[in-house]
Amino acid sequence: MAATIGTETGAVLVNPAARNRAAAGLRSIVLPLGLALFVLVAWQTYVTVANIPSVILPSPISIAKYIVARYDILLIHAIPTTVESAVGFLLALALGVLLAILITYSEVAREALYPNLVFFQLIPKIALAPLFIIWLGIGSTSRIAFSVFIAFFPVVIATTAGFLSVDKGILRLCRSLTATEWQVFTSVRFPSALPHIFSGMKIAITLAIIGVIIGEFITAQAGLGYLIIFATARADTEVSMAAIVVLCICGLLLYGLVAVAEMIANRFYSADSR
Amino acid sequence: MATATARTEAARTTPDGSLVSIRSVGKTYFTGSSAIPAVASASLEVARGEFVSLLGPSGCGKSTLLMMIAGLEKPTSGAIDLLGSPVLAPRRDIGIIFQDATLLPWKSALENVLFPIRILKLPLDRYMQRAHELLAMVGLAGFEHKKPGELSGGMRQRVAICRSLIHDPDILLMDEPFSALDAITRDQMNVALSEILETYKKTVIFVTHSIREAAFLSDRVVVMGGRPSGIILDMPMPFPRPRRFEVEETVEFTQVCRELRLTIEAAHGHAPSTHAAPAGASVIE
Repeated sequence: MAATIGTETGAVLVNPAARNRAAAGLRSIVLPLGLALFVLVAWQTYVTVANIPSVILPSPISIAKYIVARYDILLIHAIPTTVESAVGFLLALALGVLLAILITYSEVAREALYPNLVFFQLIPKIALAPLFIIWLGIGSTSRIAFSVFIAFFPVVIATTAGFLSVDKGILRLCRSLTATEWQVFTSVRFPSALPHIFSGMKIAITLAIIGVIIGEFITAQAGLGYLIIFATARADTEVSMAAIVVLCICGLLLYGLVAVAEMIANRFYSADSR
Repeated sequence: MATATARTEAARTTPDGSLVSIRSVGKTYFTGSSAIPAVASASLEVARGEFVSLLGPSGCGKSTLLMMIAGLEKPTSGAIDLLGSPVLAPRRDIGIIFQDATLLPWKSALENVLFPIRILKLPLDRYMQRAHELLAMVGLAGFEHKKPGELSGGMRQRVAICRSLIHDPDILLMDEPFSALDAITRDQMNVALSEILETYKKTVIFVTHSIREAAFLSDRVVVMGGRPSGIILDMPMPFPRPRRFEVEETVEFTQVCRELRLTIEAAHGHAPSTHAAPAGASVIE
C-alpha cells in the first residue's frame, strides 16, 4: 500500500493535470466496459444457476457460440437489412436537405411546409407501415420508402436550423461583396450548417434501420427483421437473440460511417485547428 | 511627413474635390403604422484620401448613414454618389469592416483575408502575395494558418482589416470597428490603423462613438445628432501626420476633444446650449 501511495504522490508532483486527464480517459473506457461485462456475467450466472430454459432466455455464451457457428446464415440476412437501411438513410438525407433548402429560401414553402411537417411528426408513424405494403408492394421498395418516411424528419429540422443559424454579420459582409445567393450558400450557409446536418444524420441513421426492421417484420423473405420474426415464431430464441446482436453490429457500423464522415468534414469545416 | 503632404495634395487635386458625395440623404424606418426617422437629412462631401469620422451617441443615425453609403440600406430621400456614379446597391469598390470581425470560423486567417477574392472571382494566385503582405503589416506574420478561434479579439479585427483591403477598394467603410475591444487593445488598433493607412492610402469613413478615437484618426470629424438627426458639426483635425499615440497627450488634442464633447452634449441637452463653435469649424445646422 505504502508503495502505491508513494508512486501516486510522485505522479502528482510531476504533472497533476496530465495525470488527471489520463485517469479520466481511462475511466471513461473502463467504467462502461466494466458495467457491460458485469451485466453479461450476471446474465450468464443467473441462466446457469437458475437453470433457465434457452427458449425463455439463452445465455450470452450460447448466443455467441451460435453467431460464430452460423455466421453465414446471419450474414445472408444482415446484408439486405444493412443495404436497405443505408439506401433509406441516403434518400432521407437527400430529401431532408432538399426540403430544408426549400424552407430556407422560400417563405411560401416555409409557411406551407413547416406546420405540416410538425403535424406529421406527431403521427405515430409506425402505424402507417402496413399501408406502405399496400401502396408499394411487398418488395424492398416499400421497406426503403417507409425507412425514408420515418428518417427524413430530423434531417429537415436540423438542417433548417443550421441554414438559419448563420451569422448575420457574415451574410451582410457577403451582401456588401455582391455575392450571389449560390456563393453564399456554398461558402457560408452550407459549411456553417454542417454540424447541424450531422447531428440530424446521426438520428436519421438509427431511424432508417428501425424503418427497415419494421418493414421486414411485416413482410420480407430475408433480412434480420424477418429472421427475428421467423425464429421467434418457432420459439428459437437463441437465433432471434443472435440476429439482434448482429443487428446491433450493423447499426454500429452504419453509425460509425456517419461519424467518420463527420470527422472528415471537421477537418475542413471545424472551428478548431487540426 | 511626406505621406501627410501626399495625402492632402491628392485631396486637393481631385477634379471636383470629392470621392463621396452625400446630398440631403434621409432614412426613415416604417414599422407598422409608425415612422421612425433614423437620419433626417445629411449632406457631406469626402475627398479622395480623406479620413472622415462620423461621431455621435448611439442612435444618432451614423451607422445608418454608413450602411447607406455601402449600399446595404436604401435612402428614403436624397442621393449618394461614389466616384461619380450613384450608389444603388452594394458595390465592389468598397471595403467594409463591422463591429464584429465576422470571420468564417472554419477558415484560417489567410483564407478569411482571401474570402472577397473568392467571392469576386478574382485570380487567387495574384492576391496571395498581397494577403501575406497585409497580414505581416498588421503584425500577424506567423498566424496565417490559425483559425479565428485561436486569435484574440484584436487579432481577429486585424484580419478583418486585411480582408477589407485585399481587393484594393477605393474606399473603406468602418462601422465602430474597435468598440468591442478593450481600451488598451483599442489604442493599439488606432495606431495600427493609422500606420496601415500610411502604406495603403485609402479614403475612409469611420463610425465611432469615441471622441478621442475620432480625433486621433481623422482628417475631419463630423458630429451627428439632434432630433431629428443630422450633421451638426464638421471640424478638421489640425494634428500633423504621421500620428503616434503622443498626439493624445498634447493640450491641443485635449481642447479639440473638449469642443467635440461640448457639441455633442449641447445637441443632446446635457450642457449649456450657448456653446460657440470652435474656430475653424463650420456649423452645418
